[in-house]
Amino acid sequence: MRISVDLNRCQGYGQCCFADPSVFKLRGEEVLEFDPAPGDEHRLKVIRAAKACPVQAIYIGESYEEQEERSHRHE
Amino acid sequence: MTQKSKIDFKQILDHSHIANPYPLYAQFRETPVALQEDGSYLVSTYNEVVSLLHDPRISSDMRKSDAQKRFMQQAKQKREEMIAQGQQVEEPEEIVPAFIFQDPPNHDRLRRIVTSQLTPERVENMSSHIEQIVKEHLDKHAQGGQIDIVDDLAYPLPVTVICQLLGVPREDEAQFHAWAEPLASVLDPGQVQTEEQQKQIMQAGRQMREYMGQLLQKLKAQPGDNLLSGMMAADDIDGAMSPRELISTAVLLLIAGHETTVNLITNGTLAMLRSPELLERLRQDPELIITYVEELLRYDPPVHFRTRTALADIQIAGTTIPQGATIILVLASGSHDGQRFERSEELIPDRQGNEHLGFGSGLHYCVGAPLARVEAHIALGEISRRLIEPKLALDPPPYRDNAALRGPRHLPVNFKGLRS
Ligand code: HEM
Ligand code: SF4
Repeated sequence: MRISVDLNRCQGYGQCCFADPSVFKLRGEEVLEFDPAPGDEHRLKVIRAAKACPVQAIYIGESYEEQEERSHRHE
Repeated sequence: MTQKSKIDFKQILDHSHIANPYPLYAQFRETPVALQEDGSYLVSTYNEVVSLLHDPRISSDMRKSDAQKRFMQQAKQKREEMIAQGQQVEEPEEIVPAFIFQDPPNHDRLRRIVTSQLTPERVENMSSHIEQIVKEHLDKHAQGGQIDIVDDLAYPLPVTVICQLLGVPREDEAQFHAWAEPLASVLDPGQVQTEEQQKQIMQAGRQMREYMGQLLQKLKAQPGDNLLSGMMAADDIDGAMSPRELISTAVLLLIAGHETTVNLITNGTLAMLRSPELLERLRQDPELIITYVEELLRYDPPVHFRTRTALADIQIAGTTIPQGATIILVLASGSHDGQRFERSEELIPDRQGNEHLGFGSGLHYCVGAPLARVEAHIALGEISRRLIEPKLALDPPPYRDNAALRGPRHLPVNFKGLRS
């Protein structure tokens, strides 16, 4: 799983940090730090984080490996 | 601009609209910013509500509004008259407004202290408690029959959770039910009218502050792993919380958690029992609860409007809101704005990109949102999963009088039993 956050939209509400504190962290009061490629065990929590973001700044996609795997499956 | 009669805020407060105020909001939105008879301004469209919530020229401090100043002036006059007539008059109690009613910089300082203690770890630690509490309440009805979602689950759950989190002993919880409802009615301008009600509110407030003062004393001597002890010990670059600030903050956290989460869980149950298809989808796909709860916060939210005061003349949507005027921001109407949300009058449980206003926006964005979400996910998830053949016993259910913190007073549901 890959995550990207539009940091121009992010307003530091910190809602994502509550959904998955080990993936999303606010440094100081404003700056969001996050793990862009968390393991699969984080899937549900990351979905919760993305849906809770008041400005919908979090995007969830597939990791490079997942894309590879999928394209192989389709071959 | 001349259709003043059509856009009359008082209609919101009229109990006949309370079961379904949304058609009224659609009428409001025809005039995004509408002057009311009493000089206040009603704001009902998404963009205008959001832009005002982020505007530094609006204040949450009611003491800065003309209406409040007039009210205080009248109260003072009345007191002086009574004293002149030789009557015994109680000194008004000096109350520090809670930070929801304050502006920066003091708002920010108090909020920072709260958020330094209401950490992701604390909320995460509550989730197993929440599961346990929900289970206990539902298990009492294992044989089926009738359950009142409000009294039997949605009301006690947030009370227990916030009491545990704050550090209020469980045996004192019952008292809070009695205090919370009159205090929450302060947020509803339609309600604080009779003198009797005002007295009740003041008394509830006084008793709750007294109780909190005593509890804080106890916790000072014997701190625990809870929010109150943490807030008491917390330092801040701009200064720690004073004892008075601690009390008003504790009271705010209690009430804000009481009178809102109950409505989210109840409205969520109501909507799923009105639609067998929705209930089935929630059962088939437990992850759907995540977007469903966000959609509820948009479609049938617990908090319908909040008021602010203009600190300067503000030009918006072709109108000038004059300095000192009261502004009513109808969050629930903004969240139903068809210009902002596709199919805005439909409940779409998997709606994407849902930037609803259910928790507000900007610097007063709900502090308790993460906790409320966990409570709603677990409670609504379990209600949909466990109740066997649930049916609404009454539709529409009876609503509480409060139009600002709006929700059913009771939600009786008949069912055949519980899944384990
Ligand atoms: C579903 C449940 C809830 C809803 C819908 C809700 C909604 C809101 C809204 C709309 C605001 C913004 C008020 C404004 O802009 O004037 C707010 C603020 C606030 N809420 Fe909540 N709330 C909920 C639960 C909670 C809980 C559980 C707590 C306590 C733990 C809480 C504590 C607060 C506080 C302290 C504020 C003031 C924040 C500030 O002024 O900076 N809320 N809430
Ligand atoms: S919830 Fe959204 S706005 Fe808040 S910190 Fe996370 S990404 Fe930023």
